[in-house]
Amino acid sequence: VKVEIDSFSGHKIYPSRGRIFVRGDSKIFRFSKPKHESMFKQRKNPRVIAWTQVYRRQHKKGVADQVQKKKTRKTVKSQRGYAGLSLADLAAKKAESPAARLAAREAAINKAKQEKKAAATKDGKPKAARPAGQASGPKVSKQQMKNAPGKGGR
Amino acid sequence: MLGLKATMTIIDNSGALLAECVNVLKRKTGHGLATVGDEIVVVVQKARPVSAVASQSATALKIRRGDVRRAVVVRTKKEVIRPDGRKIRFDDNAAVLINTKKELLATRINGVVSADLRMKGWGKIASIAPKVM
Repeated sequence: VKVEIDSFSGHKIYPSRGRIFVRGDSKIFRFSKPKHESMFKQRKNPRVIAWTQVYRRQHKKGVADQVQKKKTRKTVKSQRGYAGLSLADLAAKKAESPAARLAAREAAINKAKQEKKAAATKDGKPKAARPAGQASGPKVSKQQMKNAPGKGGR
Repeated sequence: MLGLKATMTIIDNSGALLAECVNVLKRKTGHGLATVGDEIVVVVQKARPVSAVASQSATALKIRRGDVRRAVVVRTKKEVIRPDGRKIRFDDNAAVLINTKKELLATRINGVVSADLRMKGWGKIASIAPKVM
């Protein structure tokens, strides 16, 4: 059973109640009571007639009683591991203290320097093809160059 | 509630525009009133000018002012009660022309017609109509 609503007052219209008026432009108007139909015929504006639903909604009458349920949308931040760094490693890295991080960095730097030094002294013979503008002599590490007397840092 | 002297618009493309009721073919009485789905006899009061092509041909539909024809009422200003209790009324009175064999004279209908036509046995008119309320 479809319960219609009155076009003028907004009241509910149950079956076999009221009247339906089809205007020349095929627009349908439903009325639950002759009073509403009469008002419509007199071309009254429901927005200024105080007992109509249109008026009540416009002037926010009787709305304060209704509890407005506020729906808050919370975004949940989820941690994910990605290629190269699993979630466990990520967590471990986060948990590192700044001091630990610094120490690790230092160690890595030193390690790299050592490796570089070893590599430099191993193939001390200059590489045959060397782009112009580079060192003319044998490959010399920065430290050696710094320590070499009379030679400005490169 | 259309009786003698009631005017209505003709909403098909037969050429007639306005018609006046002359007789209601319901019973042998002379004071009957026609509602949606009733057959009436009308006099065409206003008609569109018959086109040159039509006036040449012998078979084309030629509706002129003063023609006495039959019609079926399709819309009334007086409300009609449906079996489920609803009451529907339209903004004007309207009819479509038919012949004595209950066939439509025109080919198209423009506008709304009442759904009561189907119940009274004029399903053909209802099916041609663009909108049925």
